[in-house]
This record gives sequence, structure tokens and C-alpha cells, in this order.
Amino acid sequence: MFELLGNGIATLMDLKYLVPLVVGTLIGVIGGALPGITITMTIIVVLPFTFGLEPLQGLAAMIGVYVGGETGGLITSCLLGIPGKPSSVATMFDGFPMSRRGEPGRAVWLGVYASLIGGLLGAIVLVASTGPLARLALEFGPWEYFSLFILALSMVAGLVESSMVKGLIAGGLGLVVTVLGNDPVMGKERLSLGISTLEGGIPFLPVLIGTFAFAQIMSDIEKLGADQQLQTEAAKSVNLAVNHLKVLWEILSRPFVLLWASFIGLVVGVLPAIGGSAANMLAYDQAKKFSKHPEQFGKGAPEGIIASEASNNANVAGSLVTIMAFGIPGDAVTAVMLGALTIHGIQSGPLFVSQNGPLAYGMFAAYILAHPVVLIILAVLMRWMIRIVTVPKSVLFPMVLVLCVIGAYALGNTMSSVWILLVFGVFGYVMVKLGFPLAPFILGVILGDQIEINLIRALMTDPDPMQFLLRPISGALLLASVLSVAAAIWQHVRQKRRGVQDAEAADVDF
Amino acid sequence: MRVGSLSLGRDGWAGFVVLIFSSILFLLTIGLPEMPLVPVGPGFYPRIVLGFTALMGLWLVLADYRRKRLTNPLEKVPAPGLHGLVRRFRDVVIHFSMFAVYIAAMSPLGFRISTLVYVAASSCLLDPPRSPKAWVRVAVLAVLAAFLTFFVFERYLAVLLPRGRWTSF
Repeated sequence: MFELLGNGIATLMDLKYLVPLVVGTLIGVIGGALPGITITMTIIVVLPFTFGLEPLQGLAAMIGVYVGGETGGLITSCLLGIPGKPSSVATMFDGFPMSRRGEPGRAVWLGVYASLIGGLLGAIVLVASTGPLARLALEFGPWEYFSLFILALSMVAGLVESSMVKGLIAGGLGLVVTVLGNDPVMGKERLSLGISTLEGGIPFLPVLIGTFAFAQIMSDIEKLGADQQLQTEAAKSVNLAVNHLKVLWEILSRPFVLLWASFIGLVVGVLPAIGGSAANMLAYDQAKKFSKHPEQFGKGAPEGIIASEASNNANVAGSLVTIMAFGIPGDAVTAVMLGALTIHGIQSGPLFVSQNGPLAYGMFAAYILAHPVVLIILAVLMRWMIRIVTVPKSVLFPMVLVLCVIGAYALGNTMSSVWILLVFGVFGYVMVKLGFPLAPFILGVILGDQIEINLIRALMTDPDPMQFLLRPISGALLLASVLSVAAAIWQHVRQKRRGVQDAEAADVDF
Repeated sequence: MRVGSLSLGRDGWAGFVVLIFSSILFLLTIGLPEMPLVPVGPGFYPRIVLGFTALMGLWLVLADYRRKRLTNPLEKVPAPGLHGLVRRFRDVVIHFSMFAVYIAAMSPLGFRISTLVYVAASSCLLDPPRSPKAWVRVAVLAVLAAFLTFFVFERYLAVLLPRGRWTSF
């Protein structure tokens, strides 16, 4: 394992791979720092550039975006009080107050170093656990895979805060997208509704790109006036000079917060499609609960910054474990990576590590090396970052949409993918406006074919549906699905009893 | 909006649409042929999925109807009205329409011309230029978006972008 990892690192040090990694990381840092531009959108923008690259070059760039984005988001959270991305929200709670009381450098670098350490702790688990988990997954038959995918979907749908039914509908609609056009088992045309574009089925990448990019951009266009006001404030210059050794010691002298937050980030990352924002909030909450001075949280407590940033970078490692060991995307970013793998003809799943050893260890190496690269980029660019992140949206949005078009078009050199992009762009925007979550929908689109294939394979092997319950692993996974939905229902009922009304409950007649 | 005595909110209507959409597709699966050699045909799995989404849609309608009944009429949030909706979503509709025109124009005009026009128009709409410098910025952005991306993707990344049917450019 160490030899393969050493080879991976040596390969990545070759300029051929190092340049995409560094460029990807730089784009990730900027994309993560730009308010309103999520890591998912940044990776969508980078995707078309990877088509002409070797698989490892493209994946190194994408991993760079992912790691860079997670760290970049803390800059605007700390300095402007605007989270660069959802997984930096908790960083803002203490980072911004610390900046406002005259310690912006301390706030930012606490976050950067916590990200670095959290990410590298995650790397240990990533390298050590992916192989064994993939071997465990090799024991799975179609029953277990089917149950695992159902667990993934039910967990994501159940975790939706506003409405579990909407989460389940969103997941279900994702599955519906995969039943249109083509039967993946028999290859028969079905439900194509007379539309020739649907005859071969709907490719998932234009769906993913359209749904996320348009939902985000159009929502931002809706409230553009307010954002521009916020950006004007950003033009202020700040002094970020800091004693780096002192900041590092401040982090290392809180080993429990660091380790516990990284652990939370990892676990949340391994669970499919929950994402860094949940890890970030959960770790922050835990740090506050375990703190001797919880009253200092929200006023610039260093533990708050350390916990949230260590967790969201460790979360990246967790997501990579899930995609590399099981072939299930841990979040939207890894879903795009899955698409990139498919474009290059590489099958993800439990055989990925054993069949593509150099590529898998190259990915581990890219993940590890991306962290020091982030550190170097920020050390060089920090003083200009605040100016870079104030790029006007009138420049950014048209460029992003043009790159989305190229990404969709290049999948099959056909305009039909671009029309699918637009259709699902409208659909994604409407979903967001109606309060439907996008994560279960996307997971449904990604897993739909696999759920069907494994269900049919299982039934063709043994027509008895009770096998799904009687086989121990499959039964346990289905039980876990039921429990996750039950837990979500219990939580919603408890919230209602407490009289908690979320914003989306303010429904209107129209 | 009221349908007879049935008053539904946003969630109710969303659930209703899901219910109708799923039911129609479910009915279409009945016409799918069964496979003689395997126990399940191409309609088996879609029926499970569509049955599930139809059920969830119905649940959303009923939950919304129940909530409406239990809510004090005085607490109801007033509807924004057509004028309010138009004002809120006008820019979004314009940008979606522009994007649709952009991709429709790509086949006859080609990537470069359509992108040049789209980026310039979109940028002007998002932040109307009020000085010669701003106009130059829009022009530079549009040229970069159209020609630099074309050059990079075609030359270095082996991604062929559309040429125009009318312009051959």
C-alpha cells in the first residue's frame, strides 16, 4: 500500500499531473471563496477542460478543485461575513466576529491550518480504509447493492430539514428520470413519449449540470441587488499578517476539537450525499457542546473555526472513500467526478481500486498533495484574494453558463445534451423555488440505473423478494433505511411539537 | 388559488402535479410488452418508482390540504399577485429565455457568434454599462468567452464546438 502510494505521489510530482492539480486547486480556492459560486458549480466549470486530458490529470484537477474549494470558502466567511459556500457557514459564526475585533489574519489562518490538518487526517483514513471497504463491497450481491442504494437515497431524503415528503419526492423524481427512454437491463425503449432525444435515455451529467448551475445562478439573479451591496463592502483592504507558529500552536493545543471534528467530517462524508455543510454545522455544534466556554462561541472562539474547517476538509476524504470503494457519490462534487470517470470509460465501484491501482493511488496522492498546494497558493495570493472574490456577477454568470454549455455539448457532440441542460435547469430552479431539495433528486438520477439493474438481477437469480430481507447484509441495510426514515419522521414530529416553524412553511396561495 | 371548495397552497399544487405526472406515466407502463424469458419486463421497475412518486404526491396534497384547514384564515400569507410575481421573476424569465435563444441560435450561427452575442447581452442585462469603460469590459468579456474558449477547447482539449449551418463559422 505504502509503495503504491509512494508511486502515486511520485507520479503526481511530474509536471504533467502537477500542473492540472495546481491549476485545479487555484480555481477551487477562488471558486470556493466567491460568494454564490459553490464547489459543485466550480467543478462543473472545470469538467469540460478534463475531457481532453488523461483520466489522472482530469481527476487531479477535480480533486484540487474540491480541496481548494473547501478551504477557499473560509476566506469570505471570515473576512466578509458571507460564506463562500454552504460548508463554510459555521466558520463564519466565529471567523467573522474575530475579524471584526481586529484579528482577520488569525481568523483566516486558523481556518487554513485547521483545514490542512483535518484534510490530512482524513487522508490517513482515505488511504487505509478504501481498499478494505472495497473488498467488503466485493462480497455484495445484487441484493446488497440494491439495499445499499436504497439506504443512500432514504438517508438523503430523510435528512431534508424542511419536509421529508419533499425529499422522498425529489429522490423519486430522480429515479423517474432514469426510467424514461431506455431499459438498462433489456435495452428496450420505454416511456420515450415520442421524443427522439429520450430514446437512448437521459444522460445524467447534463441533468446534474443544468439542475445545479441554473438553480444557483437564477436564484442569485433573483436577488442580485442585495449581493452587489455586499460586494461593495469587500473592497476594503485588510491586514492579514500573523505569527504562523503561534496560530499552528493554537490549533495543536486543542487536539480533541481537531480530532473529533475531523472524525465527524469523515463519517458525514462517507454517508452518501449529505455533504460538507452538514459536517460543518455538526462539528461546530459538537465543539460548542464540549467546550468549557460555550458562551464564547459566536463571538470569535478559535474552537469554532477549527472545528468547522477541520470537519469540512475531512469530509472530502470521506466522500472520496464512498465513491472509490462503493461507486456511490458522497455528494454532488463526487457525482461530477463519477461522470468524468464514466466519460473516460472507467467503471467506479468495488473493483475500481484493484483494477485501476495506479489511478486510485494517484487520486490518493492528488488528495494529499492538494493540501500543501492550497497552503502555498494562499500564502502567495492571500493579499489579493479579497479583490479576486469581488469579480462582478455580470462577468461570472455568463462565463459559467457558457462553460456549462461546452460541458454538456462535449459529452456526445450533440445539441440535444444542451437542450437537456436547459430543461433540467428550469426544472432545478422550479424545484428550489417550491422547496424541493436537489441532493436526493441528483442521487436518484445517478443511482437509478444501478438500483434497477441490481433489482432485476436479484429477481432473475432468485424470484423470491424475501431474499432482500433474509440475506443478513441486505436485510441490515434495508432495516437501516427504515430506521433513517423513522428517525427523520420522529425528528419532524418533535420539531412540530416544539412549535418550530421553518421558513418554507410560510406557504402562499397562488 | 381555489378549485371549487378545495384550497391548495404551493406544496399542494406541487404534489398535485407530481401525482398527475406519475399517474400518466404509470398508465403508459401498462402498454409495455412483457419479456417471455424473464420474470419481470421493462415496465416492472418504472411501475414501482412511479407508484411511489404518485403516492408521495398524494401525501403532499393531503398534508397541504390538512394544514390549510387547520390554519387560521387570518394567519394566511397573502398571495403576491400577478404583478408581484412578474416583478420577482422577470429577470429570471428573461435570462432563461435568452439562454434558450442562445442554444437555439448555436446550430445556425455557430458557437462563436452565438456566444459572443449571448455573453454581451447577458452581461449588459445583469449590469447595464454606464460608461465607455464598462462597454469595453463587456466587449472584452464577450470576445474572450467566444474566441478564447473556442481556441482552448479545440486546440488543446480536443473538444470540437459547433459550427454554424448558415455561417460555416
